Amino acid sequence: MKKNKKVINFSQSHKKYVKKLKKDRFLIIFFRIFILVCFIGLWELLTAHKILDPFFFSSPSRIVKTLGDLIEAGTLFHHAWVTLFETLIGFLIATVLGYIIAILLWWNEKVRKVFEPYIIVLNSLPKIALGPVIILWVGAGTSAIVLMCVLICIVITTMSMLSAFISCDEGKILLLKSMNANKIQILFKCVLPSSMPEFISVLKINVGMSWVGSIMGEYLTSKAGLGYLIVYGGQIFKIDLVMTATFVLCLLAYLMYFLVSLLEKRYKK
Amino acid sequence: MEKLLEFRNVNYFYQTKNDEIFALNNINFDVGKEEFVSLVGPSGCGKTTILSLTAGLLKPSSGEVILDGEKKIDTKKIGYMFQRDMLFEWRTVWKNITLGLELQKPKDIDKKLEFAEQLLKKYNLESFKNRKPRSLSGGMRQRVALIRTLVLEPKLLLLDEPFSALDYQTRLTLCDDVSEILKNEKKTALLVTHDISEAISLSNKIIVLSKRPAKVKDEIHLSLSGKTPLKKREDKEFGKYFDLIWSELTNEKEQKSD
Repeated sequence: MKKNKKVINFSQSHKKYVKKLKKDRFLIIFFRIFILVCFIGLWELLTAHKILDPFFFSSPSRIVKTLGDLIEAGTLFHHAWVTLFETLIGFLIATVLGYIIAILLWWNEKVRKVFEPYIIVLNSLPKIALGPVIILWVGAGTSAIVLMCVLICIVITTMSMLSAFISCDEGKILLLKSMNANKIQILFKCVLPSSMPEFISVLKINVGMSWVGSIMGEYLTSKAGLGYLIVYGGQIFKIDLVMTATFVLCLLAYLMYFLVSLLEKRYKK
Repeated sequence: MEKLLEFRNVNYFYQTKNDEIFALNNINFDVGKEEFVSLVGPSGCGKTTILSLTAGLLKPSSGEVILDGEKKIDTKKIGYMFQRDMLFEWRTVWKNITLGLELQKPKDIDKKLEFAEQLLKKYNLESFKNRKPRSLSGGMRQRVALIRTLVLEPKLLLLDEPFSALDYQTRLTLCDDVSEILKNEKKTALLVTHDISEAISLSNKIIVLSKRPAKVKDEIHLSLSGKTPLKKREDKEFGKYFDLIWSELTNEKEQKSD
């Protein structure tokens, strides 16, 4: 291993190489923005010239206007907050509970084998099918939406984490055993920390899935929220409202994903 | 010489669903204090099983394993070093080295932490103390693994092919390092290896095992001149020992193919 990575005299070819790297990075960012601008511009252009009917397709300017109206009326933040709240609560409950269940299943192999087929069935079941039952059980409203969210995320959390725990390096466990470690120590010193990369990818999956859960829940039963706006807008043929709500949804989901990726960067340091 | 480890008529069977494998057949040998003993034998003959039995990770099917005069193995007297370094990637070098202390929480922990500092300094790893293992070379990683084992001050070190994953040059240097470290710290070691010359250059005694079920085929006491393992390779006797062990092992293979 070289100790001194900082070499002062870069060669000409190294300078070229760095330049190329910078250029490539610039090109990637440029095309990302280019695609977005093209997409929005084309959309606006086609709807302005009635090639696409704005009644069905809405348009960027209409979305901006609707957004302004909603902010002015003070309802946008309320709806966004309702959905965000449901999503976050569902996300947290599912992640924590799923993680704990995975630990319990890792702990006892026999229990794990007993529950294996049930978990597989639960995983393949489309959770939306449980919608009517959920409403009967916990009543229509926030709790039903959160429960839907939890159901969607929890099985995948448990399954992914369990498989990460099981695939923990046997050699490392043997090393701990040779140092007289008990099972709790093996869990906390080795199994949990070595599964951090999988945990972060589970968080990323759950960010997406928990939004699916809360929006689906709001489709089933809701009086407010972005999912509510989408259903409502669809029913009264106000596509502007549908598109605006979807746009806000995109922003929020991306923000949540961004927070998880910050966590990932911190971990990788 | 005072004995640290004794195997007395040890038999071991591995049990699987469809089979019972007879792994060790009446194994008898001793390891004296501050001795370096190597186990050589054909692949899969049960060398690692002997280490696992010594570490108390397995119990003999019959017979006795006696460590430091006691039949119940005290794992705290054992330091186990594996083929792979088993460093925890998410921990710094220092945190890896002190892993065992964290687990065992000995009463004299301050003294042992100080000892760990000394070892790091002595074996040129101090500047890497707060680095993660991924920034270390293979040889350095194995040295960290060795220090992690030594910090616990075990009486007996079990070395399961700790050099086999390294390139040849690193391997020779690390052999010298390990031999020096063990001599300095006055440790007893039991090494499993496939490499006959490695065994000869490091050991006071070599135990040759037969194919499975393993029996002790021969016990060879060595006395080579040369202070380091590398120097010992220059001794005239080196080749003779090599031929002797080689013929015993190849003999095994021929019998196997019969």
